[in-house]
Amino acid sequence: MKGAELVIKLLEQKGVEHIFGYPGGAIMPIYDALYQSKVKHYLCRHEQGGAFSAIGYARSSGKVGVCMATSGPGATNLITSLADALLDSVPLVAITGQVSQAVMGTDAFQEVDVLGLSLAVTKHSFMVTDVTELEHTLNEAFELAMSGRPGPVLVDIPKDVQLAEVQFKPRLVEEADTAQQQFLPAAALEQARLLIQSAKRPIAYIGGGVHMADAVPQLQDFLAKSAMPSVTTLKAMGTVPPSNSYYLGMLGMHGTQAANLAVQQCDLLICLGARFDDRVTGKLAAFAPDAKVIHIDIDPAELHKLRRAECAMIGDLRQLLPAMSVPTHCQDWLKHCVSMKQQHGWRYDHPGERIFAPLMLKQLSERMPDNAVVCCDVGQHQMWVAQHMSFSHPRNHLSSGGLGTMGFGLPAAIGAQLARPKDTVLAVSGDGSFMMNVQELGTIKRFRLPVKIVIVDNQRLGMVKQWQELFFNERYSETDLSDNPDFVSLAAAFAIPGHSISRKDEVLPALEAMFTWPGPYLLHVRIDETDNVWPLVPPGAANQDMLTEKAQ
Amino acid sequence: MNHVLTIQTKNQPVVLERLLQVTRYRGFEVAGMEMKPMADFSGLLVTLSIVSDKPISLLTNQLNKLYDIEYLDCVESELTQAEAGTMRA
Repeated sequence: MKGAELVIKLLEQKGVEHIFGYPGGAIMPIYDALYQSKVKHYLCRHEQGGAFSAIGYARSSGKVGVCMATSGPGATNLITSLADALLDSVPLVAITGQVSQAVMGTDAFQEVDVLGLSLAVTKHSFMVTDVTELEHTLNEAFELAMSGRPGPVLVDIPKDVQLAEVQFKPRLVEEADTAQQQFLPAAALEQARLLIQSAKRPIAYIGGGVHMADAVPQLQDFLAKSAMPSVTTLKAMGTVPPSNSYYLGMLGMHGTQAANLAVQQCDLLICLGARFDDRVTGKLAAFAPDAKVIHIDIDPAELHKLRRAECAMIGDLRQLLPAMSVPTHCQDWLKHCVSMKQQHGWRYDHPGERIFAPLMLKQLSERMPDNAVVCCDVGQHQMWVAQHMSFSHPRNHLSSGGLGTMGFGLPAAIGAQLARPKDTVLAVSGDGSFMMNVQELGTIKRFRLPVKIVIVDNQRLGMVKQWQELFFNERYSETDLSDNPDFVSLAAAFAIPGHSISRKDEVLPALEAMFTWPGPYLLHVRIDETDNVWPLVPPGAANQDMLTEKAQ
Repeated sequence: MNHVLTIQTKNQPVVLERLLQVTRYRGFEVAGMEMKPMADFSGLLVTLSIVSDKPISLLTNQLNKLYDIEYLDCVESELTQAEAGTMRA
């Protein structure tokens, strides 16, 4: 068979059912091999959208996402999505066509150095120069994408390699040994147990690494046995059930006051699969200033990178967490944290009839099915979603965390809907973000995907405008989007029904109409441009110095 | 602080670029570099002289994650900043 056919056969052998992409000249042999294949290809309307759909597929399912693009502009359009996957540790395999090796380096049509471009945005990248290496390389790509700290892997395949003849014998799929026992660091674990037992004010700081290690049950057992408060990063929301009395919510720049104050006051910070990101820590030197740190991660490079840990462990949280579960002695601290949580609870008593986005999102959260997936874009609405919606699992909340990529939400929702066809999938977007990958409405139409789209529209680039208001003397440079299109008419052009609301009393009937509609639906929610996200830790400030005065 | 990194790589395209890209991005300066093929041509032996005030582990931990790196050894160098500067390409 040809190399191109091997690519598709190997995807089939690996059990890949859905891939996302866009054809073009240098990848035509692979698209030809795809024709009538068992692998279902979803034609996106822009390669960035296709790769975000693969990311949404991966993040909502725990499987590897696969996307394809042609050489040159097809491949460069993947770059943003690859960077997004790298920053959020998403297992993604991107296959790109490349011009034939005979013309590589001659500035051929649609030729660009994809391998070179990939260095800064992938966990690893390959270029296949000989068809006999193709099978092994693709197997390595899948293994690398999922192993250790997951991430994106790119495989660039020149057209001559796609067209070359090669032998391929389908192999029995080897069962991965997921329960492989690792060496446990006994001394470090003993140190961790002692630190936990002797702490007066311990707190668990939980990141996306916990659910990526499939360690959510172990984490919840740990929190139950070693009763202590917990906070989560944006990526880890849903790891701790909202019903947990000692769960204080998200920490960081737009975190809850209780979460930030508790972390600032703690004497032991147990960092689990998180990385002391600047949006979490605020002023790093003033972050959790009295705390000793236990830090566990699968990536050795994260340990001591930004904060020195008294006890650092590399390893699998599924095995380490049970070995760290010891009783704590911190009843007064627990009471204090519960008290702070009550004192700083959200308020929804917003005056007037204009829609208050936090309340609308809380109502949306209360009415969506338990296992619904919410895919966010980036900006004010993203932070409101994190603050005011509840999630039963981190795979139900997809948000571009590390890269903060506007345009993520809609295509990610497409991938999530395909990965989990029985679950309700919502794309919650802002008017700015929505327009960044709006072309993917065409993908929703083509495949009749029942994605529910909620656009929180303040006719502004709201988060940038908020910073201009607070930190740039109200000089609103290029953040006015008051000439937005009519979003309901725009959806209608793609045969997607919709409705626009602007008053509080319209919210509940509109949500009811959206959830009862069997297909895709767009709900356009007009909000006041002066609404801002609170609390906010100003840039360069310590997390206890949150701005909150305009919160109510 | 100056360090000399001795790195053994796989014989793969762009492996040198990967080393240099990570070194630059993580905020370290290359003061000198030597490269030669392994005796059996299975990869490259690269020696990097690195200048930085940051802990060298911030770089070596990242380099060790590169899939094409087979082996990495790091030793402190006696090189002064001025001497290192003269080696800069």
